[in-house]
Amino acid sequence: MRTVALSLAALVFFGGAVPARSAPDDHASAIAALADVRAAVAEIVRIEDGYAVGHGAYLRAAHRAMNALVGHRDDGYAPSFGDPGDGVGTLGHLDRMLDQAGASLWTPAVQGAKANVLAAAASLQSALGQKEMEDYEADLTQALASLALVVGRSTETGVLGGLDGALANTTLGVPAGAATVSGCAAPTRAPAYGIVAGRLAYIALPRNSAAAGIPDGLAVSRVQITGRWVVLYAPAARAATALCRAGSRFGRTRAIAAHGAHPPFTAGQARTGVAVYRRYCLQCHGADLQGAAGPAVSGTEFLANAQRNKWTLSDMRTTVFENMPFSNPGSLTPEQYANVMAFLLASSCFSAGSQPFPKTAVPVLAQVKLGPVRGAKPSNPNLGTCLVR
Amino acid sequence: MLQRTIGLGILAVFVATVSASGPSGVSAQSAWPGADAYVGADQDSANWILPARSYSGNRYMTGAQITTANVGTLKTAWTARVDARGPLEVAPIVWNGTMYVTSSHNDVYALDAQTGAVKWHFPYKPHVIAFSANRGVAIGDGKVYEATLDGHLIALDAMTGKPVWNVVAAHDVTNTFFTMQPVPYKNMLLLGASNGDWGGIGYLSAFDAATGKRLWDWKTIPGPGEPGHNTWSGDSWKRGGGAIWSGLAIDPATSTVYIDAGNPQPDFLGTIRKGANLYTNSMVALDISGAKPKIKWYHQFIPHDTHDWDPAMPPVLFTGTVNGASRSLVAAGDKGGNFWVLDTRTGAVVYHLAVSTQKGQSTEPNRRGDIACPNTNGGVEFNGGSYMPDTNAFYVPSVDQCGIWKSQGTATYVSGQFYLGGAFPALYGPSTGYMNAIDIGTGKFLWRKHLAFPQIGGALSMSTGVVFTGGVDGDFSAYDAKTGNVLWHYATGMTIQAPAASYVLGGKQYVVVGAGPAGVNFADPRFNKGAPTLEGTYSHATAAQITAFTLP
Repeated sequence: MRTVALSLAALVFFGGAVPARSAPDDHASAIAALADVRAAVAEIVRIEDGYAVGHGAYLRAAHRAMNALVGHRDDGYAPSFGDPGDGVGTLGHLDRMLDQAGASLWTPAVQGAKANVLAAAASLQSALGQKEMEDYEADLTQALASLALVVGRSTETGVLGGLDGALANTTLGVPAGAATVSGCAAPTRAPAYGIVAGRLAYIALPRNSAAAGIPDGLAVSRVQITGRWVVLYAPAARAATALCRAGSRFGRTRAIAAHGAHPPFTAGQARTGVAVYRRYCLQCHGADLQGAAGPAVSGTEFLANAQRNKWTLSDMRTTVFENMPFSNPGSLTPEQYANVMAFLLASSCFSAGSQPFPKTAVPVLAQVKLGPVRGAKPSNPNLGTCLVR
Repeated sequence: MLQRTIGLGILAVFVATVSASGPSGVSAQSAWPGADAYVGADQDSANWILPARSYSGNRYMTGAQITTANVGTLKTAWTARVDARGPLEVAPIVWNGTMYVTSSHNDVYALDAQTGAVKWHFPYKPHVIAFSANRGVAIGDGKVYEATLDGHLIALDAMTGKPVWNVVAAHDVTNTFFTMQPVPYKNMLLLGASNGDWGGIGYLSAFDAATGKRLWDWKTIPGPGEPGHNTWSGDSWKRGGGAIWSGLAIDPATSTVYIDAGNPQPDFLGTIRKGANLYTNSMVALDISGAKPKIKWYHQFIPHDTHDWDPAMPPVLFTGTVNGASRSLVAAGDKGGNFWVLDTRTGAVVYHLAVSTQKGQSTEPNRRGDIACPNTNGGVEFNGGSYMPDTNAFYVPSVDQCGIWKSQGTATYVSGQFYLGGAFPALYGPSTGYMNAIDIGTGKFLWRKHLAFPQIGGALSMSTGVVFTGGVDGDFSAYDAKTGNVLWHYATGMTIQAPAASYVLGGKQYVVVGAGPAGVNFADPRFNKGAPTLEGTYSHATAAQITAFTLP
């Protein structure tokens, strides 16, 4: 029994590092983080509104609120007072989200929320040291003010929006496994989430069962009822649709922004990249791109791993441009790097287009998620790679 | 299920054999080594059952036939090709006439130790996070144990190579893998995790050798409330590194395990992890007699390292003569080019000696790029060295390189990617190596030889006064332990990144070493040009093989 407990403890310790498949998704983490905040707020409000007698009840309330916020992995956690939250704590959930994700549109909001949770925890810590009731109450009020910013408001995006704003207006509002469609066009299916470059534009629900599909606490700016769908527009939907109009002026950029799936590169770049790969990469990554001394860089294994690790094209670019070739990182020209990126993407059976792979880091690459290519016709079905020549 | 039943049946036969031939296990030709055999492994010239021959980690052999007088006649006895998708770093295990080796991608081979003939081959296809490498297996109780690149610990039936059990032994397979050879101790397998450049936290784990069940973990980075936690600023400890990846030594008399925890993370960006960053770049002596390991002492070699200069050399325990007095010592070496001798009871430094060029070590990498030496694969590497009581000297090869180091302003954790806060350095200037002999009586060089290529093949010394080592140019050499003269050498034509082993079988002594492709870390521009070695020229190896040598 002892060893079982030990290994469980180890798993919890490595909480941020549990294999992705068993980890909760970001949407669920955000919801759980909010629930912990609400549990902490409820503790504070209860003691402020009540008529408790004696020091102990006040200390207990501050400790319990603290526990809900910081979670059991923090040294501020005092298990003897109980935990009205889920044990992971708002901080634990937010840390997991910030640890796992590359930069997302919602990252600043979550970072802001974390800063405000830390501020609230500091106020609670201060309250625990107070001798006068007045000072205790003042600290608690300050903690509540910070927590209000953590919750934020759904009409705002960015830091001011807090968790509510991010849930209402970004992909953070999309539950794991839910269908997404381009938010630039009218819905083509339902239920589905319309997304534009990381922003949530709308939620489309089937008209006949729309009521059942509305998420709890959903914030909506406008409701449109069509023949088949009920379309609930997000509070900041206008910002999302403005992006669609802007994107249409930049041709291919629009497609990338809208679908979040297609890496930019040209067939010419990919062909030129063959020589770069042969000269600088092949020795470690193999003639078949399946790895040798180094890892696989194209095809089924690479794409499955990229998906498991939630790599964006920006993550892949960073590794290639900044850490490769291993023995002399950063030594190729931006053009060589862009060409070899194109070669690797083409080898993974992404289709080439008219926009080249950029020579500099551009934000849109962070919107392209890597994973198995839909409709790919690999020339080597065993490896899932396409021959580039 | 069928395999399992067969395995148990074989086991039962072995148990019967052991009881018929005495408890030591050494003389029981078909039994497996028991606890006593492991403790006495350094006395058993017929076998090689631990990565560095004995729990002390000292590749030193008594009862050798090979001497300074006859080593010049050493000839190839046999070669055995293995999978060549990466560098060969394996320390062979030899038991009862069978040799067990692994390839970089975790294929396991059982070879006839007299002929090199393949008895069985276990193929494996792990996901590779960054570097493919494996340093070998452990044996015991009719099983062969291997820890893999995809974070598994696998037990194979030693007679057939078929899996008996297979557990996920890494806590996070997206940033943690295994290259280390599991070390059997009592009923346990001790194993360290490789995650020190990918955003993990290092740990040493003990698994039940019968089932693969985890018994305990010891983390190298102290969490909140633990001593040493305040050597990390903010939350930086959470991805602090400190991998235990090369090897370990055990003193069975006191149940003390000596480990070297690796570099802190992000490797090249110190500003976001202010403090000494314990227990990274430290040797830690752990009492493992109880239910959980307890720290006896630690010594941090390089506090707050910003150059990935981890103590790659596995610890070597030995009794040496210092200023005329016999002392219990432990040797260490780091990629920063330092060789260390500590007192085993206190961890106090007895000697410290630079074995590679050191330059620019006090400057943290910046965005502009600075030169520092050694390079990231420089200094003392992961195969370590050997102490010879006959000369009271320690033999250890080293790498002499410099690099240009750059850091970035930030470090972002991306699951499954490097977590460096910069990039690994680019080689700057020449790339050479040394074979060093250090007089333990004085802490000064007895002799040292400057060689054209990096030397990372460890050292195997024999009581007859011969020391073997191999370089990345593929030259496998025998030195006179007293003078440093090269008595014999052989060009394998591949890079040597593996340590040598030796055993006496059928009346003949064999010396074996693995060689293969250069891999990620030791690719050398001279290889493309066919650089001259002592014999002939070199080209990039596309094969990997074990070569066995013996006297005619």
